Amino acid sequence: MSAALAVAVGGLFAVGTFLLLQRDVIRVVFGVAVVSQATFVYLIAMGGIDEGTRDLVPVLEVHGGGVPEVADPVVQALVLTAIVISFGTTALALVLSYRAYEENETMDVTEWT
Amino acid sequence: MDPNLTIVATAVALPFVAAVLSPLLYRVLGERTGYAGAVVAAASFGLLATEVDSHGTVGVSWVPALDVGAQFTVDGWGLLFALLASGIGVLVFVYSAAYMHGEEGLARYYAALLAFMGSILGVALASDLVFVFLFWELTSLCSFVLIGHYTDDDESRYSARMAMVVTVGGGLCLLAGLLMLAVASRGALGGATFDLTAMIANDEAMRAALRDSGLFVPALGLIVVAAAAKSAQVPLHFWLPNAMVAPTPVSAFLHSATMVKVGVYFLGRVRPLLMSPEWVSLVATLGLLTMTVGSLLAVAATDTKELLAYSTASHLGLMVAGFGFDVVYGGEAGAFHLLNHALFKAPLFLVAGIVVHEAGTRDLDDLGGLWRELPVTASITVIAALSMAGIPPFNGFYSKELLFEAAYEVAHEAGGLAWLYPAVATLASVLTVVYSVKFLALFFGERRAPVADVHRPPIALVGPPAVLASAAVVVSVAPQLAVDVIVQGAVDATGTGEAELSVGLPTHFSPPVAMSAVAVVGGFAAYPFRGRLAAGVQRGVDAPIPVRPSGWYDWIVSTTTVTSARFGPAVHNGLLRRYVRWVAAAGSLLALAGFAAAAGPLEIGGIGGIGVPLAVAVVLGVATLAGAAVATASSHVSGVLTLSILGFMLAIFFILASAPDLALTQLVVETLVLLMFLLVLQRLPSFYSEVRPLAIARDAGVSLLVGAMAFVAVLLTIPGPDADPTSVAAYYTEQAVPGGGGTNVVNVILVDFRAFDTLGELLVVATAAIAILVLVTMRTRGEAAVTEAGEEPTPDGGDSP
Repeated sequence: MSAALAVAVGGLFAVGTFLLLQRDVIRVVFGVAVVSQATFVYLIAMGGIDEGTRDLVPVLEVHGGGVPEVADPVVQALVLTAIVISFGTTALALVLSYRAYEENETMDVTEWT
Repeated sequence: MDPNLTIVATAVALPFVAAVLSPLLYRVLGERTGYAGAVVAAASFGLLATEVDSHGTVGVSWVPALDVGAQFTVDGWGLLFALLASGIGVLVFVYSAAYMHGEEGLARYYAALLAFMGSILGVALASDLVFVFLFWELTSLCSFVLIGHYTDDDESRYSARMAMVVTVGGGLCLLAGLLMLAVASRGALGGATFDLTAMIANDEAMRAALRDSGLFVPALGLIVVAAAAKSAQVPLHFWLPNAMVAPTPVSAFLHSATMVKVGVYFLGRVRPLLMSPEWVSLVATLGLLTMTVGSLLAVAATDTKELLAYSTASHLGLMVAGFGFDVVYGGEAGAFHLLNHALFKAPLFLVAGIVVHEAGTRDLDDLGGLWRELPVTASITVIAALSMAGIPPFNGFYSKELLFEAAYEVAHEAGGLAWLYPAVATLASVLTVVYSVKFLALFFGERRAPVADVHRPPIALVGPPAVLASAAVVVSVAPQLAVDVIVQGAVDATGTGEAELSVGLPTHFSPPVAMSAVAVVGGFAAYPFRGRLAAGVQRGVDAPIPVRPSGWYDWIVSTTTVTSARFGPAVHNGLLRRYVRWVAAAGSLLALAGFAAAAGPLEIGGIGGIGVPLAVAVVLGVATLAGAAVATASSHVSGVLTLSILGFMLAIFFILASAPDLALTQLVVETLVLLMFLLVLQRLPSFYSEVRPLAIARDAGVSLLVGAMAFVAVLLTIPGPDADPTSVAAYYTEQAVPGGGGTNVVNVILVDFRAFDTLGELLVVATAAIAILVLVTMRTRGEAAVTEAGEEPTPDGGDSP
């Protein structure tokens, strides 16, 4: 139970939502990026966060032998996927915004036809 | 003897398979598809007939965690209904082949009819509540298709919609009621289950659990509403007469013999489970009310099929009332009348079809003296109509007499207002005699022209009602035979105690016999006054105070249409931001409300200190501040830079959280994102929107709501500091080396255990890349092509209006 994690996730979600609701389309793209980042933190938090040490890294020492306790590898795999996907999303949103600007000659989403 | 799962499942599945194949069959067989349908129905009937001596529950599990399974219970009650449906199905298919001669859309007609028969068999035999609900709704759906058979006809479409709204609306009530039963089973049976047979076997524990949770009356009410909608009980009876726009074989099959009995059937099924004083006062009253209202409206009817429709509602009321009484006779009346009603009402509908087919009209005032041209049909009608009237010794008499005995017994025990039960039952029976004779008058008395030529009906039209009437004669002559073969099993399944049903003509005088005598004598005495009676009913129906439930239906439907036509554009105004705002705010509020409602089981372990290592807290703090800076950035470039601070802080966070792979990826991606933004931004103007405090306050409110939701969600869901790793995580860690051959667990998950997910991810990125490429490069190419063609390019690229 961590107040710091909760504050960070809550704060980032709030900021991301605020940006999503703006009229400036670039800020909307910012919002998409910030919400993604907030999700990463949330996912990692779901795996539990301990004091980072060398032993906790989910890379096993040797083939065979006992299995040590490591940080949750499942959430890490999920976040790794999410980072790449959100990169794709942000890039596409950015280029779409650029093209929309070229067509409409304004960045204000309320003035788009 | 236990039933054979293969046989039962085949009997239910066969009509569905045939329904899927029927377009093909129609292509090969043409109008003879009806006979193929009859063969399918006969096969189902034969398969089920082999199970008459068996009794028990068989099935295969489907969702073991919820105890849902394809489970069938074979007992007298289910078999009676299933055999009736498939047996009458054979006759209706034969009849259809002749009746629907030269019609359009026969492939669809037969497909729907076959699917309907399969659904009815499913309802009758399934004992898993999920399957009961599915088959129940399938019957409504097939009924919709069949009522709306003449798709070009406005009235047909209107009636089909009305039947759909009422019966499917009832189905939703059923779903809610069944879920309540499943919830109660958790306490009563030691684990949530959808197994109706198990619930009925432990009916006392179920009732106690329902009462403890306060769900007894709601569950009872919802199930009764569902059954009332399906079985056309007052005030939801109005869809049934409208459903008569369907072709006559459909009316005979769905809207008299089978589909409308699904509600009655299910009431009989849950009767042992829900029997209580509330049940008696609700169900018995509902049934007798419908019996009376239905017979009054039938007396006032001017159309053959309308008369039969109201009469069907009235007889369904009789069955419901029978099941409503908590005495042995009640269940006997309901179960036996289910059989008897099918045997006399289905032939009457088929006769009505013959009359309209040969005489060309359905108007009761235009018809009379048809016995000269239609002697066989007339004799069928005599048997069936007298049985409907409850004249001894015809089969309808026996079951009606049982109802009288039940009503009398209940009144005798309870006294007071309960004496209304036998009184109302007798009144309704008087009216039943009146309209039965009125229907019979089609064939007797003088010819009332304008009816021109009356043709002889083909054998395929007369045969099916003749078979049914013969069956009615057999039951009339030897009622005890029918009881021994099947009805006794049905009585046992629906009864609350032991009951040995014995029927026969009364041998000594008793109050119920007197009630029957009053009904018959009173009916014949009242027949001459039917015109005045009909006028009185018509005045009541046309009264200025809207007593017609169909009027309410029209009002609700039209108001809904108008309101949604206004509401739609107001909500759906095309501004995506508004949708996002509403969805985000509503979703957060719902989630918060859910958290608040579930506050008991969810515990927030004490928020002691910051709960994470100090370094992590600091990094997250900087990241949050960077996020806030993005929102307040005064230009795009400063926004991008602060966004990068956020991204790089997260990379450090990943390092501190023992995730070096993520940190590496994040560093690469953040760098690329920064470059990409800067490249694009240099070609965009800086945007300064005017500051509108009101809009900002509104957006900030929504954002705070979302933030609060995320805050609470994190507090509630993240594991404690010394929680064990999840089983999934432990599995992957253990199997990484033996199963995937790699020591880096995250990598092994991505490229080995979940390799297909990663492939999909690659596809997403590749698609995004192609899309970006097209967006950036194709525009100029398109313009170049347009310019070469010598056309003036429009300033905005040419694809906005």
